[in-house]
Amino acid sequence: MFKRISLLMVILALVSLVLAACNSSDPEDCSSDEVFCVGLVTDVGEVDDKSFNQSAWEGVQGAEGVDKVEFIETGDAKDYGANIALFAEDGYDVIVTVGFAMGEATAEAAATYPDIDFIGVDQFQGEAIDNVAGLIFNEDKAGFLAGALAAMLSETGTIGAVLGTDLVPPVVAFKEGYEGGARYINPDINLISTYHPGGMDVAFTDPEWGASTAKQALDQGADVIFGAGGKTGNGALGEVAGAEGAYCIGVDTDQWETAPEAHGCLVSSAMKLITPGVQALIAASKAGELPAGNYIGDVGLASFHDFDSEVSQEIKDTLSDLEQQLAAGTLETGYNPGG
Amino acid sequence: MTSTTVTTAEKPSSRISGRTILIALLVAIGIAIVYYYIVDPTATTSVLAGTIRQATPLILGALCGLIGERSGIINIGIEGQMLMAAFVAFMVNVALGPIMPLGLALFLGVVSGILVGALMGGFLAWMSVTLKLDQIIGGTVINILALGLTSYFYVIGLTTRGKLPTFALGPLADIPLIGPVLFNRSPIQYLAIILVFVVQFALFRTVWGLRTRSVGEHPSAADTVGISVKMTRYMNVIIAGCFAGLAGAYLTLESVGTFERGMTNGRGFIALAVMIFGRWTPLGSWGAALLFGFATALKTQLDFMGLNVPPQLTGSMPYILTIVVLAGFAGRARPPAAVGQPYESE
Repeated sequence: MFKRISLLMVILALVSLVLAACNSSDPEDCSSDEVFCVGLVTDVGEVDDKSFNQSAWEGVQGAEGVDKVEFIETGDAKDYGANIALFAEDGYDVIVTVGFAMGEATAEAAATYPDIDFIGVDQFQGEAIDNVAGLIFNEDKAGFLAGALAAMLSETGTIGAVLGTDLVPPVVAFKEGYEGGARYINPDINLISTYHPGGMDVAFTDPEWGASTAKQALDQGADVIFGAGGKTGNGALGEVAGAEGAYCIGVDTDQWETAPEAHGCLVSSAMKLITPGVQALIAASKAGELPAGNYIGDVGLASFHDFDSEVSQEIKDTLSDLEQQLAAGTLETGYNPGG
Repeated sequence: MTSTTVTTAEKPSSRISGRTILIALLVAIGIAIVYYYIVDPTATTSVLAGTIRQATPLILGALCGLIGERSGIINIGIEGQMLMAAFVAFMVNVALGPIMPLGLALFLGVVSGILVGALMGGFLAWMSVTLKLDQIIGGTVINILALGLTSYFYVIGLTTRGKLPTFALGPLADIPLIGPVLFNRSPIQYLAIILVFVVQFALFRTVWGLRTRSVGEHPSAADTVGISVKMTRYMNVIIAGCFAGLAGAYLTLESVGTFERGMTNGRGFIALAVMIFGRWTPLGSWGAALLFGFATALKTQLDFMGLNVPPQLTGSMPYILTIVVLAGFAGRARPPAAVGQPYESE
């Protein structure tokens, strides 16, 4: 009896070995010229973070003409380079790296592997590298639309913004755009906005400050508040959700998905459209025409979700009109980082 | 005999000059508040309401720090205690929310936060009293442990179904200025103010307070008259943990309504500065916490008014004032004599 079981085990083991061997002769061998592979390295965090990582990953999955996609979740910022190298050594054709923080590691890898195309989400390219495309965004345009929406929704004539830190240029762009958009609709609007007093290390992870500050703005009559600053901004959104008759606007991605505590007020979000940007760049790479340097992705407002009925058709028409003008370049947001 | 010596040694603020300065300062603050209230009632009220709110976790943290230090245990793990309690209180609320009324779930969340704070306090006491470990290292262990555990077990996208609500205290809330600032708050904010006076009384007017201070100032003398130094320190650090736990529960269940990694954001350390600024007394610490809270609310207000004061400047104001106070304003700031020293009975 015992012998029989042993024999069975041995056979099973052998069969599984053979099967494994079959499996390893992969029809999707990335080093082959016919097979087009795309790998994504996340910033610290998970691929299903409902934010940057997830948006980029959806872009990779949705790209056309790709034979194989794979991702690696970065657990520690020290592993950026090693994770990129895992894909590069496997002969991947395109490697997508997510987040401003990975810019340096991406540039280094690009120099080591000149035959691989790199797409850096949110990575501004100071000097163009032939095989790197930085996917960046005009945050001021998204902010402009958010500000216009806020000004049209406001009944008190006071709107606020609770922001991360002005040490980060995209945050400043969001703010300036927001104020420009609000003034475009109503030149006399009362704008109250504030940055977190702390440095980079704390400015985006302080929901308690965001909440207290949003309350201070609400107390002074603000009835629409733009929360732009990671978890700090989310704190503000959560506070506004508890207030009667006030709206809030999220940032970066559709925060209806990321900040459930804000469902009571979240009318929209000023979004960076990472998914279509990543798709477009992968398609360009496939065609052998990766745009070196900076590639400016689209921005826009998220859907109104539960507040769809509260936003009038007139407001929606104005917003789409503004969006077209911004895209065509006939309308300036008033944000000018150079001067 | 020992008791009287300790009591007088503990009250340097009873010097006439210090008290006069304090009263003058309070009168000046009062006049300033009334003046600004006449100029702009809405802004003044909201800044002061913001001050009370921002001060809440700081004063609770400072009470945690000073109850421990008064008995001779330095606690730099307040940050970790708060963070851990914030996390557990939040998770308990999320877990219990669907199966019981919201009020009860919130209450149990707060209670579990307090218990976790106490538990971490017990851990610190065990390290510093029983193991006689360096107390700074013990506190650091707690901070790292809390950051690691909460980050690991945190699940994105969870939220409470509600927060502890504000409730107005009847007609008191209708008093102009004072009403909305002091009598229209949420439960833990009221509790924090009450606890300041309770701890002040307990520390200077009860047997427990006397024993605590004697253990913190001169443990061998306390031991001689039959006070168990170990027991007192254990008890105090555990009670102190409850305060940090309450501060943590305040962050998730009353103020923000959700948990984020590292959301205490250094408040546990600012609480230590608040405690030193308040010269290891609850009332003094409350004043210091209000000053820190005011600085934050004022900075926001200056931004609202479009005055481009660099945030780093206004943000550093409380710390500059802390240094001014430490440098000798209104008496000397002196820690309990035996703080940080493990006690060895002879």
